[in-house]
Amino acid sequence: MAPSVFGFRGLTVIVSYDTVSLFSMTPHVNFKSGVPVYLQIVQQVKAAAAGGALRPGEALPSVRTLAEALRINRNTAARAYAELESEGVIETRQGAGCFLKANGVSPLRRAVRSDRLAAELDAVIVQAHHLQIGDEELKALLAERLEAFRERLQARVAH
Amino acid sequence: MNPVIEIRDLVHRYGRTEALQGLSLSVEPGCCHGFFGRNGAGKTTAIKCLLNLLRPASGSVAVFGLDPARAEAAIKGRLAYVPDFVAFYPWMNVREALEYQASFRTRWNRDTEASLLGRFGLDPRQPVHGLSKGQRTQLALIGAICAEPELLVLDEPTSGLDPLVRREFIQTVIGAYQEVDPGRRTVFVSTHLISEFEGLIDRFTVVEQGRAVLTSDADEARSKFRRLRAQFEGEAPPGEAFRGARSVRREGRLLELIVNGDGDRILADLRARGPASVEVESLSLEEIFLTSIQTGGTPS
Repeated sequence: MAPSVFGFRGLTVIVSYDTVSLFSMTPHVNFKSGVPVYLQIVQQVKAAAAGGALRPGEALPSVRTLAEALRINRNTAARAYAELESEGVIETRQGAGCFLKANGVSPLRRAVRSDRLAAELDAVIVQAHHLQIGDEELKALLAERLEAFRERLQARVAH
Repeated sequence: MNPVIEIRDLVHRYGRTEALQGLSLSVEPGCCHGFFGRNGAGKTTAIKCLLNLLRPASGSVAVFGLDPARAEAAIKGRLAYVPDFVAFYPWMNVREALEYQASFRTRWNRDTEASLLGRFGLDPRQPVHGLSKGQRTQLALIGAICAEPELLVLDEPTSGLDPLVRREFIQTVIGAYQEVDPGRRTVFVSTHLISEFEGLIDRFTVVEQGRAVLTSDADEARSKFRRLRAQFEGEAPPGEAFRGARSVRREGRLLELIVNGDGDRILADLRARGPASVEVESLSLEEIFLTSIQTGGTPS
């Protein structure tokens, strides 16, 4: 959306509609996380979508707005959005911008989705090993986190 | 596509001082390439060799695949350079200074000029001698960007700019410039403000004593360089026990290692010695820069 410009006795006010979506979901970049910048954005958008901070059909900041707000390369922002689009999390509408997909059905085949999650789980298993957390404790932790996630989702929906 | 800048084993001497002692680096098209180094490390000398302001003693320089000594005009028509200290004819005003710069260029984007003048708040009628250092820098930046070059070479581009204007420049101006033709517009920026430019940098080269001690993709460097901090019950083991660590700091029960790429192996080794606690943290670009010049590094 193009920003609106109001003039009032020489004072010009610019309202950018992009900032509205920035408020509902504020991405940030941690240069000390060791995670590629574009991936951090992908993860945060997914987390916002999964947690309800971003609603289906809601607009995301434009590539330009996102890049400027985070002081990153436009390419990096564009790459994050391209990745999100390929995973079926967001869609681009010509002239209107990027939106969180309404039905959220991933275009990826089940096997591919499974493989991706398996890779994430492998990383968690390695971490558990390093942190000297046993199998039973790991499973209990997973159950606990799942429940906490559902509760947060319920709380959001209730509002 | 061929690299936009290709430097190989560049050597340059000032009298008996070797400012560049075999510098090698290459810059890919569409990249924002950071050039970091201490004062006197050879950054400005290297840039001057790119522009044919200095001739190499040995080694080679190529910009757009061309030799600056032989194709200076052809190269300069396709790049724009903003040095640390900019100068204009003092009797001109902003408008005249811009017209003068434009007269040397085959391309000049009037819309960009108007937009940047407005964004920087520069009055076209103001005489140049009345401008602050920061405003003169802004004028030079406008001249560089309106010419729509394929390559932007910046040497401390935010010098003299106040923090607000600096942030605006980093946030908006460079992005807008590259956005117009993403694969073909390249930025080569030499700066001390590594953390401010961090988000924009795709790849970077650290130069120390006239040589490149590290060239890397930014994300890759941030994932490989890590700080391992271990607290032990008793005396911490000696640092020499950990082969491959870039640097070691030992204070009583605390052992701090900085690793590059060998992180997992060294972390496992560290854990095997039964520390009370271990913290792992990745390094930011500025910390990576400091590490690579402190340990001397292996020339890459």
